[in-house]
Amino acid sequence: MAALAAPIAQARTAPFTGAHAVVRALEAQGVEYVFGYPGGAIMPVYDALTGSSLKHVLVRHEQGAALAADGYARVSGKPGVCIATSGPGATNLVTGIANAFLDSVPMIAITGQTPTPLMGTDAFQEIDTFGITLPIVKHSFVVRDPADIPSVFAEAFALATAGRPGPVLIDLPKDVTQASLAVPPGIDQTGPAPRRKFEQPGAGAIANAIALIEQAKKPLLYVGGGVGIAAAEQALRAFHARTGIPAVATLKGLGAIPTGSENYLDMLGMHGGQAANLAVQESDLLIACGARFDDRATGKLDTFAPNARIIHFDADPSEISKLRDADVSLIGEMTAILDALRPARLDIQDWRDHCAAMKTRYAPRYDAPGSGVFAPALLKALSEQAGDDFIATCDVGQHQMWVAQHCRFSRPQAHLTSGGLGTMGYGIPAGIGALFAEPDATVVTITGDGSIMMNIQELATIKRYRLPLKIVLLDNAQLGMVRQWQELFFEENFSEIDLYDNPDFAELARAFGIEAFTVDRRSEVPDAIDRLLSARGPILAHVRIDPRENVWPLVPPGAANSQMMEA
Amino acid sequence: MTADIVIDFTRSEGAVLRLIGQVERRGFEVTSMTMAEHGAGPARLTLGVAPRDASRSFDTLSRHVAKIHGVTSVRAAERAPFMERAS
Ligand SMILES: Cc1ncc(C[n+]2csc(CCOP(=O)(O)OP(=O)(O)O)c2C)c(N)n1
Repeated sequence: MAALAAPIAQARTAPFTGAHAVVRALEAQGVEYVFGYPGGAIMPVYDALTGSSLKHVLVRHEQGAALAADGYARVSGKPGVCIATSGPGATNLVTGIANAFLDSVPMIAITGQTPTPLMGTDAFQEIDTFGITLPIVKHSFVVRDPADIPSVFAEAFALATAGRPGPVLIDLPKDVTQASLAVPPGIDQTGPAPRRKFEQPGAGAIANAIALIEQAKKPLLYVGGGVGIAAAEQALRAFHARTGIPAVATLKGLGAIPTGSENYLDMLGMHGGQAANLAVQESDLLIACGARFDDRATGKLDTFAPNARIIHFDADPSEISKLRDADVSLIGEMTAILDALRPARLDIQDWRDHCAAMKTRYAPRYDAPGSGVFAPALLKALSEQAGDDFIATCDVGQHQMWVAQHCRFSRPQAHLTSGGLGTMGYGIPAGIGALFAEPDATVVTITGDGSIMMNIQELATIKRYRLPLKIVLLDNAQLGMVRQWQELFFEENFSEIDLYDNPDFAELARAFGIEAFTVDRRSEVPDAIDRLLSARGPILAHVRIDPRENVWPLVPPGAANSQMMEA
Repeated sequence: MTADIVIDFTRSEGAVLRLIGQVERRGFEVTSMTMAEHGAGPARLTLGVAPRDASRSFDTLSRHVAKIHGVTSVRAAERAPFMERAS
């Protein structure tokens, strides 16, 4: 990866301003990278940046900044920082902030704002960023006094990471960042907050949970994204190994238990496997672990796990009994809870055997007819060959589901996907962020021909910083997922899904200075994977696939998870 | 069915908007609102709220409101159904 340009030495003896306080506050929080794009109202901060130790990554669209900060945060575990100017800069950040909110990603979004005397006058590039983002932030601040900057930043970082993480917005009016401070304010050295502060559940609740587990004949672990967020995967794996309770994972829970583990049935839900969905329907005890009964996972809610009692543990009390009443709820630090759950006796060997048999029976097949590229087989082979350093960052659509179904994940950070918001355009910026967080990882963005165009401009960012991102573009010349739904649920009334006039993607990548090649046939796949994995710089594989390919199995919208459709 | 939600919170920019927004977004109508004048200290907002459909619970709403930064306490008290006396 290219070193970022060294800061230009400041010859000026500029006064210490609010903007300098912003930069200092970020440095005090241990921030290394900020992802951003400059403009009028945020210019004082950009001015102060040149003399700082912060490394600024210049993206080509503010949405790219927010999504890159999201990818950085998911892989590093530290808050991602993005920065934009007022008005259009701020509104361009909004999708990325919403993405972080719905996927519980710690983020600090910094926006410039018109000077305070002009706020509320419809001034140039004035927009109520605070108001627009209210429903999609954990908290937000408008800083009106430069002396407050250190404490606001310290509080923002603490909030973004505490409990259930999320984005925090700091809106900075230009007069506040321009104001000279006679005496530089003291740096609030609060530092990054401890990641979680919880009261632990009482011994009674733990004992009740253990009793339910010991009584169960068909217990099932239902693993969600909260496990990775809480960094509790080791405790979960230990619990899973010592109890042998079969497990399923949500889209966001993938990687918490490594793919291929014993008693692990992979993903449940709309595009989950038959074994996972049937196991849920048959289970008599569901142990929901950092999972939130999302509709994509549960299907028709009142038919989900109809015979199961529920143990629900989560960091966020408002998730408990939100959609499904819990028989026992355990709110608190997940590692401690999992460590405390030590059932003395379990009589579930028949259930384990049954689950294992279902897993074998419903295992995906990779022997598709024809000689065209079969995307599931390509993705499986690519992830297996990439090994434990593999990180997939996905866009949204059929390709995203194939990644979830067929790739091998060895840790939660190996699968970056826009699960809550479903943001087309997430993949490439998230890949950028992931590489800044873990430069030695094998980061692969898997995208579609629709999604890639949503943030195609970020190829320039990849080139600029010589990021060794590997892009696999699965091109079906369609908005494939929408086409699939139109085929299945709208009587094949295909409406506005045909992308027959796509650009030549390999040429396009080359125009950005990125190595690229096209794959048409199945026989070319092994060499393509080798070439991708051995490339030292950025590379794009443009893979043409059959436009009629669908994602199977599928639970139709509004149906029970037991009513899966197969090819 | 309505309830009174009594929320104690620390004053800050946008705090009232945040509280009302949370209630509306979580599927409740705000039917009444009282906020006593306060000085620099903590503030109290009492909202009459009615669920927009039968699946919404006051308990879950209270937990969502309690999560908002700056909220120090939330109490929900269901109102007894209004009964007209047959004369
Ligand atoms: C920003 C945004 N706009 C629209 C959608 C709705 N949507 C979901 S999947 C999809 C099609 C994606 O097409 P492509 O990227 O080519 O992937 P494919 O399904 O073909 O694999 C669309 C339009 C979305 N999720 N995000």
